[in-house]
Amino acid sequence: MKRFYITFLAATFILCASLVSPLDTFDTTTRVSKVLDILGDKGPDHYPDTKKFGVSAERGRNIVMNGFSTRPGGGKTRRQSKHFLCTSCHNLEQEDPVLKYNDPQERLLYTSKKGLPFLQATTLYGAVNRVSFYNGDYEKKYGDLVIAARNDIRGAIQLCATECAQGRKLKSWELESILAYLWTIDLKMGDLQLSEDELKIINKSIRNRTMKDSAIQIIKSKYLDGSQAHFGSAQASIEAGKNLEGNPDNGQLVYENSCLHCHKDRRYSYLLLDDSKMTFKHLANKAAGYSKHSIYQVVRYGVFSKSGKHSYMPQYTMEKMSDQQLEDLRSYIDLRAE
Amino acid sequence: MKNYLLKIFCFLVITSTQAQEQIHQTFKDSRVINAHSVETLRKGILDFRVTHRFGDVGGGWPTFYGLETASDVFIGFDYGLTDKMMVGISRTKGSGPLRQNINSFVKLKVATQEIKGTNPFSLSILGSMSFSTMQSSPIPSDLNFFEKSVHRFSYHLGVLIASRLSERIAMQVAGSWTYRNIVEANDKNDLPSLGVVFKYQFSKAFGLIVDATFAFSEFRSNEVNRDDSKRFHSPIGVGFEWETGGGHVFQINLTNASGIMETDYIPYTTSSWTDGGYRLGFTISRQFKL
Repeated sequence: MKRFYITFLAATFILCASLVSPLDTFDTTTRVSKVLDILGDKGPDHYPDTKKFGVSAERGRNIVMNGFSTRPGGGKTRRQSKHFLCTSCHNLEQEDPVLKYNDPQERLLYTSKKGLPFLQATTLYGAVNRVSFYNGDYEKKYGDLVIAARNDIRGAIQLCATECAQGRKLKSWELESILAYLWTIDLKMGDLQLSEDELKIINKSIRNRTMKDSAIQIIKSKYLDGSQAHFGSAQASIEAGKNLEGNPDNGQLVYENSCLHCHKDRRYSYLLLDDSKMTFKHLANKAAGYSKHSIYQVVRYGVFSKSGKHSYMPQYTMEKMSDQQLEDLRSYIDLRAE
Repeated sequence: MKNYLLKIFCFLVITSTQAQEQIHQTFKDSRVINAHSVETLRKGILDFRVTHRFGDVGGGWPTFYGLETASDVFIGFDYGLTDKMMVGISRTKGSGPLRQNINSFVKLKVATQEIKGTNPFSLSILGSMSFSTMQSSPIPSDLNFFEKSVHRFSYHLGVLIASRLSERIAMQVAGSWTYRNIVEANDKNDLPSLGVVFKYQFSKAFGLIVDATFAFSEFRSNEVNRDDSKRFHSPIGVGFEWETGGGHVFQINLTNASGIMETDYIPYTTSSWTDGGYRLGFTISRQFKL
């Protein structure tokens, strides 16, 4: 009987110890942030304040996908923006095949395969794992407004809400709800495409609490902690295009996954683009000239808000659409306009 | 008969809800010169419209070919309640015997043409109402004597069927019924009519539009002026339409109709193309998202 008690107590101790002990291994679905946390890298404070009344990931998801949600006290909220949804410019799934690279052509092929649009803004998948926002040339566009947004995800979300989406400022519970939702689409260890050796190092580091810095470094080298942004110029793209040969098949992907995402059935724009020859002729005729309707200007500068008409089109940075892709788009337009 | 109509209605509802690729812009605007087109505004879009009809070109130099006079002016707002239903309210100067009108309408898109589907046309139903706010005349024979306040009302119901025949060509026919609570002695309150609309798109942004309405009325066929010339004429307009971008459509046209609302130009067009009774008109439409 005594032996039974000893065995029972030992088993209970082992069970309890296993419950309270931190993670000693991980799988493909384990959060990257959790593994980094165990390794001693706390990361930025992107955690939602769930104690705030009304905060929920479901409400956040509704705001991101529909532009409104249910109020904590009941009823529907006012639309955040009458012009855009978050999903007008952001995907919600992984959009780069390899997270550590920022290659627009790889992204175009990958998103196309997944049935996702090819958009101006970086996917919200893994947004909470990034540490900087509105990088590079966005300072030229938004000026001092990026100061509050560059190293603060809450500031970035608010800037996106008020400037990019031309909508109202988010209430505190809405902002925290969006953060809560973004944590449901954070990076998982399976997204990092770790090699066997790298897995061994990280697993060993977690078990033995050794070589933590190396493990952290390996993990962080597998994804970008911010999206670089360099603005191009229409003239530079036209000049670059003269030395490039357009691929109309690739241009078709750009047209269908990028242009039509907003312009088909006038989804987000007053300008209707479709599959008709007249549409392609219109685009082809405008492409060459120095006009705000030229695809070069539209892609590189976007379309700006006017007084009384706040909807606009954000531009594609060089990281989001290459000159080669722009030339591919033009070759597809020219081909369809013939 | 009821079953037959029910079947047609069910067919329209079912085809309009099937997930075929649809033609969303048979016409660029919700109006084609005077007539409504099958188009409805998208949900949440407010359309501010100003329509102007100058005086007769036949007025010559004294009126600078009609440009110094206004036969009718329309200022109004349309709004898309859903993607398939719009409403509008406006004020028109009025050109017929009933003037200073407050107008309202509701338009419902029942079916939308599909590119490769089973539905080859779009169908909308229009209902509108006009209320004349003009001062009562002391002369009992005048239409605006307004013995009863309901005499100030006129109504219009139309069924619009349109099809984009090719990338460039679109057509529309409309069967309409106009009802005025007060009419001239020999006229009838009911006035059925047939409207025909044609559009030829020269380019993505620029197109030709033609609009004609033929009223079926014995009174209108027989009525003559003092000089034995025909008194009433079918309103026929021809014009051009530009989409200038950003939700802005501009129409410029020539039409013998002096009125703008259906309850005005269908019963009361008395000027003729043949004797200089046509005028320049334009419409400015500016859309906003609410």
